[in-house]
Amino acid sequence: MSAEPREDAVRAPQPVRSPQPGAIAGSRAERSAREVISEGRSVEVRDLKAFYGDALAVKGISLRYAANQVTAMIGPSGCGKSTVVRCINRMHEEIPGARAEGTVMLDDADVYGSDVDVVSVRRQIGMVFQKPNPFPTMSIFDNVAAGLRLSGRKGDVKERVEQSLRGAGLWDEVKDRLAQPGIGLSGGQQQRLCIARTIAVEPEVIIMDEPASALDPISTLKIEELVAELKLRYTIIIVTHNMQQAARVADNTAFMLDGELVEFDDTNTIFTNPSDSRTEDYVTGKFG
Amino acid sequence: MAMGTGRQHFQEELRGLELQALGGIDLVVATLDRTLEALEQQDIELASIVVHDDDRIDGRYLEVQQGILSLLALQAPVASDLRVVAALLHVIKHVERMGDQCVNIAKMLPVVGYEPPKDEAMLEYIFRMGRLARSEVAQAKQAFLLRDVAVAEDLVRQDHEINRLNRCVFSRAVEIGTDADRREWAMSMMLVSRAIERIGDNAVDIGEQVAFVVTGEFREFSDASRVP
Repeated sequence: MSAEPREDAVRAPQPVRSPQPGAIAGSRAERSAREVISEGRSVEVRDLKAFYGDALAVKGISLRYAANQVTAMIGPSGCGKSTVVRCINRMHEEIPGARAEGTVMLDDADVYGSDVDVVSVRRQIGMVFQKPNPFPTMSIFDNVAAGLRLSGRKGDVKERVEQSLRGAGLWDEVKDRLAQPGIGLSGGQQQRLCIARTIAVEPEVIIMDEPASALDPISTLKIEELVAELKLRYTIIIVTHNMQQAARVADNTAFMLDGELVEFDDTNTIFTNPSDSRTEDYVTGKFG
Repeated sequence: MAMGTGRQHFQEELRGLELQALGGIDLVVATLDRTLEALEQQDIELASIVVHDDDRIDGRYLEVQQGILSLLALQAPVASDLRVVAALLHVIKHVERMGDQCVNIAKMLPVVGYEPPKDEAMLEYIFRMGRLARSEVAQAKQAFLLRDVAVAEDLVRQDHEINRLNRCVFSRAVEIGTDADRREWAMSMMLVSRAIERIGDNAVDIGEQVAFVVTGEFREFSDASRVP
């Protein structure tokens, strides 16, 4: 366990932060005996700044999301955590007046490279949103197949849809009503449908922005269990307001405040012995 | 970012739980005083009060343990709050053990009887141990309240002296002579000495919890397997 103070997060550019490997014996990453099924890719953010017009929302942060691990982004509303993840798959620039500076690497590929196809970036870095957003006029089957068709994937669509629904833990619940509309499902099922749609196109990374905050506790639990399965195939970045959710699902946790990365470490360390007093105050509920 | 009062209710509850657990240490100090007085005065009645009064310490243990379980279940404390809660669980267990050691001492008094064949030198060692143990226990509480690692670490120094005196009691018992009554008395006093020595160890253990709360790192102040 490290009690050493971290360098101040304000200075830029800063070294890219990674949690110390094996900071605590028996950490979550070590405890997970299940084996990785397919190698996800790591994401590295270097000196990332994000603007809304002239307002600087993310003030130059650097961190590395390890492959096949779950990294949680926590922090109070407006701290910039959602903005960071939206920069990773280039969603941020879709907002009028918004722009990003700095580097985002997917393994050794520059996400903001001049020859990069934005659509291909978003296929490789999938996203699940707070509110389940299935295509309202489409059937359950078509919702999952839509992503495949949009991305021009060939092959057996039926098989891929089944695989994706199984991967999202939804197959048994919907296999007999695939032709029914997706919006007829419960909120939790709709969210898993969106996850199935996301994984159908075989991304490398899945970003989840508050994926369970609109769901009931049982549906939340299912999503959290699913995250543990998904990380065997993908790299997961999860933005959450729910600190207990971060504690339950994430291998590593990044704490942001006012557009800065305050602390990034093994989740266990963040919740038992954080280095920065601001992290301590936030996780113990002294502000926020 | 809203800087509010945060989890005020929870913080009050946690503080209350800490005071309840550390109040358990006060109970031990009072019990230890009575125990040592009973020993000094050969007061078997007072010793019997010590034995019966242990229910209060046991009751405190149960209250604090229940409070900790509720707090864990309902408030999900993390970081330094979590460390305090975990440490309090240890503290209250040590309180309960120290109470039991006082009972062990008190139960020896009727065994040795009203007119035991005393050895003044051996008793002197034991009374000094008793005073040191009392001081250690009180200091452990202060260290916890103040979150003062230096005060906690100082317990080790005092505990070494208790251990040294315990060995003196042992040597004296070995050389007590051939008289059967005297030997029986010495053996009983050896058990008393051992109980006091254990109380000192428990106080040091509480000190280790103080260091854990402050630093987030658990370490033994002294390694019992290596200290002579």
